[in-house]
Amino acid sequence: MRRRLELGKTLSRIDFLMLISVFFLMFLGVAFIYSSGISSTGINVSNEYQKQLIRIISGLFILLFFSIYDIEKIKNFAIPIYLTLLAILIYTRINGSTVNGAKSWLYIGSFGFQPSEFTKIATILLLAKYLDDNKKEIYRLKVFIISFGIIALPFSLILIQPDMGTASVYIPIFIAMIFIGGCNIKHLIYLLLLGGLTLFFTMLPGWEEFILQSKNPFVTILNNKNLLLYLIGSFSFSILLSIIGYFYFKKEYFYWVIYAFSIIIVSLVISYIARTYVLKEYQIMRLIVFMNPQVDPLNFGWNIIQATTAVGSGGLMGKGFLQGTQSHYQFLPEQSTDFIFSILSEELGFIGAILVFGSFFIILIRGILILTYAKDNFSVIVGAGIVGMIFFHVVQNIGMNIGLMPITGIPLFFLSYGGSSLWTALAGIGILQGIYQRRYRN
Amino acid sequence: MKNSVSKLRLYIVVAVIASIFIFNLIHLYRMQVVNQNLYQKKATAVSSRSNIIVAPRGEIYDRNYDIPYVDNRESFSVVVNPAFVGKDNYESLIIKLSQFLEVEESYIEQKLPYSVRNSFNNVEIMSAVSYDKIVKIAENIEFLPGVTWETIPIRNYLFDGSISHILGYVGNISQSEFQVLYNEGYTLNDNIGKNGVEKQYDIILKGKNGLKYKTVDVQGRKLDKENLEKDVPPVAGKNLMLTIDRNIQTLAEKALGNRKGSVTVLKPSTGEILAMVSYPWYEPNEFYDNSKNAFGEILLDDNKPLLNRALQGYAPASTFKIIMSTAALEEQVPTDLTVDCTGRVFYGDRYFGCWNPAGHGVVDLQAALENSCNIFYYTLGRDYLGIDKINTYARAFGFGEKTGIDLPNEASGQVPTPEWVKKKYDTWWTNGDTMNVSIGQGQTLATPIQIANELAFILNEGVVYKPHVVKEIIDPLTGKTLETISREVLLKSTYKPETFVEIKKYMRGVITDGTAKNAISTRAVEIAAKTGTGEVGLKDRFHDWFVSYGPYDAAPEDQVVMVVMIEASNELDRWRPWAPKASDLIYQGIFANQNFDEVLKTLRPYYLRELWQ
Repeated sequence: MRRRLELGKTLSRIDFLMLISVFFLMFLGVAFIYSSGISSTGINVSNEYQKQLIRIISGLFILLFFSIYDIEKIKNFAIPIYLTLLAILIYTRINGSTVNGAKSWLYIGSFGFQPSEFTKIATILLLAKYLDDNKKEIYRLKVFIISFGIIALPFSLILIQPDMGTASVYIPIFIAMIFIGGCNIKHLIYLLLLGGLTLFFTMLPGWEEFILQSKNPFVTILNNKNLLLYLIGSFSFSILLSIIGYFYFKKEYFYWVIYAFSIIIVSLVISYIARTYVLKEYQIMRLIVFMNPQVDPLNFGWNIIQATTAVGSGGLMGKGFLQGTQSHYQFLPEQSTDFIFSILSEELGFIGAILVFGSFFIILIRGILILTYAKDNFSVIVGAGIVGMIFFHVVQNIGMNIGLMPITGIPLFFLSYGGSSLWTALAGIGILQGIYQRRYRN
Repeated sequence: MKNSVSKLRLYIVVAVIASIFIFNLIHLYRMQVVNQNLYQKKATAVSSRSNIIVAPRGEIYDRNYDIPYVDNRESFSVVVNPAFVGKDNYESLIIKLSQFLEVEESYIEQKLPYSVRNSFNNVEIMSAVSYDKIVKIAENIEFLPGVTWETIPIRNYLFDGSISHILGYVGNISQSEFQVLYNEGYTLNDNIGKNGVEKQYDIILKGKNGLKYKTVDVQGRKLDKENLEKDVPPVAGKNLMLTIDRNIQTLAEKALGNRKGSVTVLKPSTGEILAMVSYPWYEPNEFYDNSKNAFGEILLDDNKPLLNRALQGYAPASTFKIIMSTAALEEQVPTDLTVDCTGRVFYGDRYFGCWNPAGHGVVDLQAALENSCNIFYYTLGRDYLGIDKINTYARAFGFGEKTGIDLPNEASGQVPTPEWVKKKYDTWWTNGDTMNVSIGQGQTLATPIQIANELAFILNEGVVYKPHVVKEIIDPLTGKTLETISREVLLKSTYKPETFVEIKKYMRGVITDGTAKNAISTRAVEIAAKTGTGEVGLKDRFHDWFVSYGPYDAAPEDQVVMVVMIEASNELDRWRPWAPKASDLIYQGIFANQNFDEVLKTLRPYYLRELWQ
C-alpha cells in the first residue's frame, strides 16, 4: 500500500513538460530513422526504426530507475563505478571493435554498446561527489586541477580511441559542473583561453596550407621548431621575471602578466604536441573543411556540403515527410545517426527545426529550473553536468548539420539512431526527474 | 531556495543556452528561408546529370546545292555499364566482346579495370565500330549483360579527291585550340574543323549541342523521377553552299592528274572560286577509321598532302611580266621602247640569259610579253622602272599580302625590297637583283590565288574582289538562305583603261603568236594567257605556270580566270609543259559543258591517247 502511494507520489511529482519534450523528440527520431531507411526507389531497406523503438522501450526502464532511485545513494559507489568504466575504456581501446576508425565499441554477444557514452554519467557522478566533498575549498586551484584530472582521464582514453567527438563532450560537462559548483572564475577563464588558443595554434598551419594557400610569417614560426623554442624561451623568461617581480613587489600587475603569458606558452606547447604527435591528418582535415568545405568537396568536405544542402533546400515548410531528395537519393551520409537533423529539416523545413530546438530548450530550461529546487549540492552539480552534456550534444550535432560546427561524430540525443547515447540521455533525464521529485524531501 | 547554488551563475547558463540557440535558429532561418533557392539549386545540381545531345554539323554543298559534299553519318560506339554486368560475368564478357569486336582481350580488359567495375556510368569500349559488328553484338545481346551501343553523328565525306583541300576535316579539339576558343563556347569534348571550310566556318557549321537531363542518386543511377531541369534541344549547324562547281572541280582534278601542283579557277567578276585543286590530296574519311593510322601517315608524307598548294608561295616567273608590262604602260616609259634580244646580256660580272638562247631579235613591249623575252624585261626593270616602282606595282596587284580567301593557312607571298634584303641577308641590293625580279625570279613569291587575282585585276580594269569558296549560308531545316557572302573589293587602282586593253591584247597574242601558240586546241572558247617557267635550281625541271582567262573578248561577268601551276619537284614529265595542256582540257570542259571523258573524246589529245583510244 505504501509502495503504491510512493509510486503515485512519484508520478505526481514528474516534470511533465520535460518528459513530453523528450517523448516528442524520440517520436521524431523514430519517424526520421524510418525516413532515412527509404531508398531512392521508394523501398524501405532498413529496420533501424524498429530497433530504435525497442531501445526506446528499454530506455524507459532506465529513465524510470533513475527517477526513483536516489542518486545520493550512488554517491558512495561513484569511485568504483568510475574506475570500472575506466577499465572498460582501456579494455575497449585494446580489444574493442572498430567503427568509423575508432575502437569505441564493445560487444557482448551480438549486443554492442559504446562504453564512452556511459562513462559520461559515471564521470559526472564522481566529479559531483568530489566537488561536493570539497565544497568549502572549491575556490582553490588544487580542487580545480583535481577536478580537471577526473575529467581528463576518460577524456584522454576516449581521445586515443580515437573519438575526438565523444571526448569533446567532457569539456562542456566539466565547465558546467565546476561553474555551477562555484569555482573561481579566473581558473575557468584561464582554462577557456588556454583551450581556445591551443585550438587556434593547432589549426593555424592547416589554415595557412589549405585556406590561405600562401606563406604567412607568423604561421612559419609555429612550424619551425627552433623559432618556436626561441619564442617559448623568451616568454618563459618574461614569466620568470614577473614571478620575481610578483614576490618582490607584491603587485597584482605581475600576476596578470604571468596569467596571460603562461596561457600563450602552454597553448603553444600543447598545440605543437597535438599537431605533431596526437592529431591524425583526417582530424585536422575535418577542421579545415569546416572553415571551407570546398577545399576537399568529394572527401572530407562531402558531409558538410551534403548536409547543408539538404537543410538549406528544405525551406520554410520542408519537402514533406519521405519527400527529401538529398536524403533519399543517398547523397546525405549517416542519415539515421549523425545527420538525422539534416533529413529532418530537409523534410520538415525550418518549422521542424524550430520544433527540435524548442523541445531541447524546454528540456534544458526545465533542467536548470530543477537545479534551483534540488535539495542538496551534489544533486545540483550532477544536474549541471547533465544539462551541460545535453546542451553540448545539441549544439555540436545540429551545428555540424548546418555548417556551424566541424564534423565530429556525436549523436543528437533522443533523435539519432543508436542505443548507447539514447540510454545515456534517458539516464540523464531520469536523474534530473529524480532530483525534481526529491525536491521537498529534506 | 534550499541549496546554495548561485542564481547569477544559473542566469548566465540560461543566457548562454538561449543565445546560442537563437544564433543557431537565425543561421537556420538564413539557410532555409532566405537562401533556400541557393541550396535548392545545389541540391538540383548534385542530383541532376545531363547527357549531351550532339548537334548535327552543317552539311556542305557545291554551288548547285543538290548533292552534299559532306554530311553526317551515325557512328557506333560500344559501351558497357559495369554495374549491370555482374561480378562473375566479366571473364566471359571480355572473351565474347573481344571476339565480336575482333580485338585482343587485353584491350577490353584495359578498358574495364577493377576500379570501374561497380560504377553505374557507361564506359566506352570502342568507337567507330562497323555496322556488321554491331549487328553481331545485337544478335548475342542476351549473353552480353551490361553491353549497349551508342550512336554519335560523325562526318561523312561523300566525294573523295581534291575537294578535301576545300572542305578540310574535323577532329577532337586540341588543348591549344581550346585555350584560344574557350570564350566562343567550345568545350574539351567538342569536335572542331581542322582545315579548309570546316575550320574557317566551324562556328557556323557546328551548331549548338543540346542537353538531356536525368535525375540520379549518389551512385549515378538513373531514377524514375521527374527531371529537375528542362532538356535543351540541340541547334543544328548551318549548311554551306560553296562557290565550287563540282564539274569543274572534277575536271580540273583529272586534267591535273597526279602531278604535284594546283589548279585555280576564279570568277573574276565576283571573286568566287569555281575550282581549286591541289595535288596530292587526302581522304578525310580515313581519319575516322580506327584501324588505320591515316593521319599519322599523311603527316609523314614527303609530298605534304595536307598542304593546299593553291595558297602557297612560288616564284611567279614569267607571269610577273604582266605586272611589268602594266607598269611600263603606266609609267613614263617610251612607248616605242625596243630591245634587241641576242639571247643573253652581260651585266655586272655575269651573263643574264633569255629563255631562248637564239634570241628574239628586236622586240617591243607587245612582242616581249607574247614571247616572254627576258632581255626586254631586264632592260625595262633596270633602266626604266627600278626596284621601288616594280615593287609598288607588285603590291598594287596584291602581291605580298594575303588575299583573305576564306580558307586557312594561306601564304602571303613575298615582295623583296632592298631594305628587307639588307636586313635579312646583309647584302646590298644590286641592279642584277632588280633584273631577276623583273622576270619574276629572285625573291619575289606569289601564290597561285594571287596570280589569279593578277588576271582578275586586268579583266576588271583595276579591281580585284576578295576570293572566296563559300557562297551562301543556308538554314538546314527550311532551306532558306541566311547569308550570302557578298562580293568585296580587295584591290582597286586608278590605272588608265587603255593599259588594260593593251595588256589583254598582248595576252591574246601569247596564244595567237607567242609562247603558247600551239598549246591550246580547244575550239569551245578563245582564251588569252601567259606562260611561266620558274627556275628553281634544277637543271631540267621547272615550275610550270599557265595563267589564262577566257573568253578573251567577253565581259568579266562571263569570263573565268584559270591558274595552273605544276611544281618542279615532279618527276620529269614526258609531256612537259603540262600546265597549258591541262588548261586546254579544262577550258574545253567548262565552255563545251563536257565532262572529262567527253573532253578527251572531243579533243583527242595525243598526250592522253591511252585514255580515249
